[in-house]
Amino acid sequence: MHRSKRSLLDIDSLTREEIELIIRRSAEFRESAPSRSLLAGVPVLNLFFEASTRTATSFTLAEQRVGADVISFAPGTSSLGKGETIADTALTLRAIGVCVIVVRHNESGFATRLAESFDGHVINAGDGTHAHPTQALLDLATLHAEFGRFEGLRVAIVGDILHSRVARSNIVGMKMLGIDVTLVGPPTLLPDAFAAKGLHIERDFDAVLPRVDAVMMLRIQRERIAASLLPALADYTIGYQLHAQRLRILPSHAIVLHPGPYNRGVELTDDALADPRSRYEAQVHNGVYVRMAALDLLVNAAGAVA
Amino acid sequence: MRVLIRGGRVIDPSRGLDAVRDVAIDGGIVRGVAEHVEERGHEVIDATGCIVAPGFIDMHVHLREPGATHKETIATGTAAAVAGGFTAVACMPNTNPAIDTPAVIAEIEQRAAAAGFARVYPVGAITRNREGKEIAPFHELATAGAVAFSDDGSTVMNPRVLRNAALYARDVRGPFISHCLDDELHGDAVMNEGPQSVRLGLLGSPGLAEDIVVARDLLIAADTRKRWHVAHVSTANAVEIVRWARSRGTTVTCEVTPHHLLLGDDLFVDYHARAKVAPPLRGPDDAAALRAAVRDGVIDAFASDHAPHTAEEKAQLLSVAPVGFSGLEIAVGAYAEALPDLPLERFVALLSTNPAKILGVEGGTLATGVRADVTIFAERPWTVDASAFYSKGKNTPFDGRRFTRRVVATVVGGRLAYHVERGIIERLAYA
Repeated sequence: MHRSKRSLLDIDSLTREEIELIIRRSAEFRESAPSRSLLAGVPVLNLFFEASTRTATSFTLAEQRVGADVISFAPGTSSLGKGETIADTALTLRAIGVCVIVVRHNESGFATRLAESFDGHVINAGDGTHAHPTQALLDLATLHAEFGRFEGLRVAIVGDILHSRVARSNIVGMKMLGIDVTLVGPPTLLPDAFAAKGLHIERDFDAVLPRVDAVMMLRIQRERIAASLLPALADYTIGYQLHAQRLRILPSHAIVLHPGPYNRGVELTDDALADPRSRYEAQVHNGVYVRMAALDLLVNAAGAVA
Repeated sequence: MRVLIRGGRVIDPSRGLDAVRDVAIDGGIVRGVAEHVEERGHEVIDATGCIVAPGFIDMHVHLREPGATHKETIATGTAAAVAGGFTAVACMPNTNPAIDTPAVIAEIEQRAAAAGFARVYPVGAITRNREGKEIAPFHELATAGAVAFSDDGSTVMNPRVLRNAALYARDVRGPFISHCLDDELHGDAVMNEGPQSVRLGLLGSPGLAEDIVVARDLLIAADTRKRWHVAHVSTANAVEIVRWARSRGTTVTCEVTPHHLLLGDDLFVDYHARAKVAPPLRGPDDAAALRAAVRDGVIDAFASDHAPHTAEEKAQLLSVAPVGFSGLEIAVGAYAEALPDLPLERFVALLSTNPAKILGVEGGTLATGVRADVTIFAERPWTVDASAFYSKGKNTPFDGRRFTRRVVATVVGGRLAYHVERGIIERLAYA
């Protein structure tokens, strides 16, 4: 099918200029609410096959604030892929009149496959362990709000990189923007295969901490123990938890990011959450504005950019 | 009926023959290969400018019958075979029911004879219902016509079961063919593990999942002295392990597929399953090692692992779409594309003489008195069009690819089964 509409499948669906534009616009929206006519009457479907509280709420709010007609549907993970094909679903939704699909699915590539058959805009709200571009955008917006620049910033992403769509999208985006990225984690969760140009891989968290501008802590899930990727969580914390002692070697100007939901006492402690350098709330707050700006760019500036 | 294959360059590795010759066939039997054969009521096949070779044998195909005839039938699969230049195929036992009783073998042979395109050699299961638990009735299966044994599609994970099977079947004709992927290391992987899987966020299967089973199986082969064949080797390590086993006297052969020789794990960017296969397409270093292993003789046979599925099945999400794709009709072009510098005699040996020897079946030679199974091919550029396949499985990651070597004609039992300009000629009842 010939597709004329742009989608946001991963950060590299955007140019560097567009990322900067979204972040600039999100800052403007944060200062003063935009007109509700930006997406007035545009039917936007939130299609969350995988449960989500923060992302679904954030998208819904963003859509309402730009005046879209919001429909939300949580079909459950297994209802698609059997019987009706992805292409069938895409055609049906388009025929109904849906213009934008915000989709989350537990399979990597789902948004890509949907976009291939949907003659409208697809926004990936998280696909498996692949990508979560609006999360990366809000992380970037938070960094920009803090430092006013990207070029040359040093950011460490710590933890379960292998299973993290947030890490993948941030790696792509941060590299595009000239941020110096260091990945930190044990080899089971950060395989050597991540080695790539312009990306540092470190196993020693304490060696990395003193020289970063931001540290992003990723959620650790208990399933990793059953999968023999991790021993008891207490063991993980020895190497990779952000706790009081490590906060002492984190530079005073640096910030702590977490995509949430966090596991208190696992990847970070209460000290880290209470630390004035923590930007967890700012991240969540920025999410709404970034999503408003992304919707606006995709739907309204489709003709203006390549 | 008399057939004369006129003026082709005859390459017969079984006799070290490489010369322009006429091939005379009568009553389905090769009557002679000579510089000039007088035409006396022969049907003439002009092979000028072509290579004439002993019939190609694809020792690894899935015909899906019985049990999954929506994907392929013995008739459509063998039609695809002759269209791909294959006069015979060995069909894997992952059917439903599995090929673990003489009755299933009889059914397959009867259907193959009725279809009458290519010869079909059933491969029996190693364990009942390919479950890896109880060993199969090897004597019964061999007597019924099984040419080899394999649980292909599944690995016999229990080494005690595999060792006992190999011991019990040691004196039964036909090698064990192992499909090597450790269930635990492979898991639910959809592609090769490496920089590509990591970048795409897809679950990867490490080369180790294959290597570890190849090593285990060849140690069991050495221990039991059962003749062994490793299916679809796909890693540099697997090749080295075969080389090592052979160097210490283990009787082992191995095969390689067109896709592992030519394609890599960079075909998943669009998250489609068209290149999903087991073992998975590997990285460029592995493919290069496989090509080198064909050149230096470690690899004995080309085999397509023809694994047809419907378009709907392959269009599913990567996690649920089945592994494999059609191979018979692209194989000859793809092998030549992967190894353009391979001497023709070796090319023919890998496709006919060696598979015949490994399976212990007639063929692989144009010696006087043998069944007249002949493959005629030429350097004639063509473009793969999966929609035009005779196979029901109209998907291949090679679709649209341009190849230079092409099958011109396929002769089974002295009758023209396929000609590139005329397609499938007729259904041939063969003995």
